[in-house]
Amino acid sequence: MNSRNTILKKLRATQTPFTDVAPIEQRRNMVPLAETTPDALTQRFIAEAEKIGCRVYAAEDAAAAFERVFALLNGDKQISAWDDAFLPMPEFSETLKTAGIEITASDNGQVRLGITGIDAGLASTGSLIFSSGHGKYRTVSLLPTVYVAIMTTNQIVADFETWVALQKERGLDQFRQSSNTVIISGPSKTADIAQELILGAHGPKEVHIILLP
Amino acid sequence: MVLPERESPVGKKVSFFVTCIMDMIYPDTGMSVVEILEYLGVVVDFPETQTCCGQPGFNSGYRDEAKQVATQFLRAFKDAEVIVTASGSCGAMVRHEYPALFADDPQWSAAANRAAAITWDLTEFIVDGLGITDLKLRLPQPKTFAFHDACHGLRLLKLGGAARTLVNHIENATVMELKDCDVCCGFGGLFSVKMAEVSNAMLTKKIEQINACPAETIITGDVSCLTQMNGGLSRQKSAKRVVHVADVLAEGLKGKRDGDSIK
Amino acid sequence: MEIQSNNFVSLSAIAIRNSEMQKAVSKGTRNGYDKRLAAMFAYGEEHGEAMRQQAAEAKRRALRQLPELLEMAEANMQANGIHVLWALDADEANRQVMDIIKRHEVKRVAKGKSMATEEIGLNHVLETNGIDVVETDLGEYIIQLNHEPPSHIVAPVIHKTKEEIRDIFIEKLNMPPTDDAAEMVAFARKKLRDIFLSADLGVSGGNFIIAETGTLCLVENEANGRMCTTMPRVHVAVVGIEKMVENFEDYATLTQVLPRSSTGQHMTVYTSMINGPKRPGDADGPEHVYVILLDNGRSDIYATKYAEALACIRCGACQNACPVYRSTGGHAYGWVYGGPIGAVLTPLFVGLDKAKPLPQASSLCGSCKQVCPVDIDLPRMLLDLRHDTIQQGLGDTLWNLGIKSWAWGNSSPRLFEMGGMAARLGQGVIGQNLPAPLGEWTKFRDFPSFAPKSFRQLWRERQKAQAQS
Ligand code: SF4
Repeated sequence: MNSRNTILKKLRATQTPFTDVAPIEQRRNMVPLAETTPDALTQRFIAEAEKIGCRVYAAEDAAAAFERVFALLNGDKQISAWDDAFLPMPEFSETLKTAGIEITASDNGQVRLGITGIDAGLASTGSLIFSSGHGKYRTVSLLPTVYVAIMTTNQIVADFETWVALQKERGLDQFRQSSNTVIISGPSKTADIAQELILGAHGPKEVHIILLP
Repeated sequence: MVLPERESPVGKKVSFFVTCIMDMIYPDTGMSVVEILEYLGVVVDFPETQTCCGQPGFNSGYRDEAKQVATQFLRAFKDAEVIVTASGSCGAMVRHEYPALFADDPQWSAAANRAAAITWDLTEFIVDGLGITDLKLRLPQPKTFAFHDACHGLRLLKLGGAARTLVNHIENATVMELKDCDVCCGFGGLFSVKMAEVSNAMLTKKIEQINACPAETIITGDVSCLTQMNGGLSRQKSAKRVVHVADVLAEGLKGKRDGDSIK
Repeated sequence: MEIQSNNFVSLSAIAIRNSEMQKAVSKGTRNGYDKRLAAMFAYGEEHGEAMRQQAAEAKRRALRQLPELLEMAEANMQANGIHVLWALDADEANRQVMDIIKRHEVKRVAKGKSMATEEIGLNHVLETNGIDVVETDLGEYIIQLNHEPPSHIVAPVIHKTKEEIRDIFIEKLNMPPTDDAAEMVAFARKKLRDIFLSADLGVSGGNFIIAETGTLCLVENEANGRMCTTMPRVHVAVVGIEKMVENFEDYATLTQVLPRSSTGQHMTVYTSMINGPKRPGDADGPEHVYVILLDNGRSDIYATKYAEALACIRCGACQNACPVYRSTGGHAYGWVYGGPIGAVLTPLFVGLDKAKPLPQASSLCGSCKQVCPVDIDLPRMLLDLRHDTIQQGLGDTLWNLGIKSWAWGNSSPRLFEMGGMAARLGQGVIGQNLPAPLGEWTKFRDFPSFAPKSFRQLWRERQKAQAQS
């Protein structure tokens, strides 16, 4: 018998454990949110993201967002970024190209700054969530030392539980189509050296969030 | 595991379970318990055939031997209406372990369940059982105290609150905080013998906190932990001591002004 | 890994005398303990407790349906493009990894933090086969350099001070001397970045597998986990069969309870949900993803009264809370898992006879159960293991005798009273030091005097006096 069947057979041969455990009557969300109006969620998202070390910039419009991007670029001539279709800014690559900035292959590991969009923001924890795919490169939020997420306020949902419920509504196939979905909550960090908190362990040291209306 | 429900003990006779250590080493503390109960108008009885709850055997894995001893407990307390004890871990043994220990024993399981359902620790008996939070006590001299929560009482019986409530109400008693008051002192019964060095490392940390605590006296509700901590304090020539909550309450009887009464 | 658990007493004595380790462990555990407390109860005690029970229920419900969930997970993972392998024991799992290495001509392995691979001793097997394997979690990297096993489930190098870590980097890697932790991290980041970019295989563990979606889930803060599962061509995850989660909602609970319990975060920096290899047209991600479902004794545990131990989500909270662990650190436990969960798992995995002292290594204070995010009754299991010890005839002869005579002396009131008198008399002769085997106790403490009169004597006198008046 192969190991698979041996294991399953062994598990089935025994008396089922935990038959007496009462089911949870009402599943609760991990973070109780008092207010869930769009405004309240935006405020909460900003507050939580800042708490975990992100810098959040509210940009009135695309022009302001571009201004912010250029400020963060700080003279760099090369960045990595997602494809235009997945960024909430019109003609993103065109605008950068015009300014003489090259968007490189996503995974060369040399650039300092990476820019992505997101699928959703989680207000309860200030987290960013997105799946990977064509034009949504994984490495952009991973290899650079400075990571910039550009998003709109209507992408903010209450919490992870709400996001999960949305996936289920939509059918889980869509979630499963993507090879990888990640929730990012702040800059990469470690406390392995005597509990001293150091940012930028292996991933980005800085996380900037540009929030469009 | 859910502890068995208890009926109100109001108006019932109390059978005092002194526990083996208190019997042999701290009989005066036992007398303090009796004094307090009688002060409250409770009729106290001491079933003389009692020995030990069986915990040392049970905790070291000797369940047959533990049952042998526990059976003697059940015999001694078979007519009890309410059992009161003043050692958290012994109370936990009866309340928490007896039902399962005797689950497969047709002869004793009913008695074990009953014992679990009529046993109280002194302080919870007063506060939760009788509904009294202020014993109208007064110490002859002002004193400062802090609590060490003995583990079994705290985590298995949810004690701690009741003792604090009672001492907080004593006139002339000031209650302070002992840092890490809910961290084990390292006793753990035979653990302190089998793993003496580890136990001592735990005790050393506890003693550091006791010495750093501004309170003169540490109160606890378990005589075994008290023995461990005082054993360490004495060896390290510290002036601080740990006392049993019953002794503090009994001392409060001494400073009472005439006319202060609970009844 | 050689099993040293029967040497707990001597290993812990060494640990207690290691002042650097004492400093590091007490700082680390306290830090973890305090952070958990703040995070778990950030929204009130009632809420935190409810979340704990919700997590506990989710894990137990999953274990109840374990064989079904494993089949469901397998089918869904396969549909997602993941190769699923089953390993009955450590040897089989290691062989499977080696097969994958050969199939894909792997030269270098980048490893993420994983207790399952510690359990099977994967690094050792890879090294013996000439494969370059590098631990990439900073803590794991440090102890790999120093040829040590991890001493804590989530903080593997909790037993070392900053100065010791500095010296390891200087000695092993010629790091330019510095006392600045940030510089040490930057130094390691550079070294490990090269590994991520050049490794052909990434190895990870798995915190959860969502059965209904076939998703492998990982939590981490450093991004080394994302690196290991993104950059190399091939990704292998070694995951215990008990990691199944029934559905997405349960996962949402568990993946948020876990960081609260372990590091006091509400979310780890990276919470990854892996649904397989890169899809056609994707620019990055591994080409092949394998999940090895590891039994290695778990199905045996499943059939015992210790099944609850399989609910463990490896958060390390019980280690931080345990006053024994705080005093001894993790290495004293002599195998992969230290602390309360280690004291339970080790005898279950390696056999009670090879880990006899571990169930005894507890004062049964109960703080482990109190902090456990899935409410595992660790003290109960330690008591049961002690009982098994006696039943399997592994009890100490001296103790067997001692307890027998204790039981005899306590089963009759007359004998009990005689025993008390004998003790009083005995103390007159030997003073404040107890005889063997109890003598260990008085090495460090003074034993109190037996009272001249026992309580029952005082009671009798009092009754007599009252009757007379
Ligand atoms: S036993 Fe509980 S507290 Fe300990 S590591 Fe496992 S889940 Fe965490």
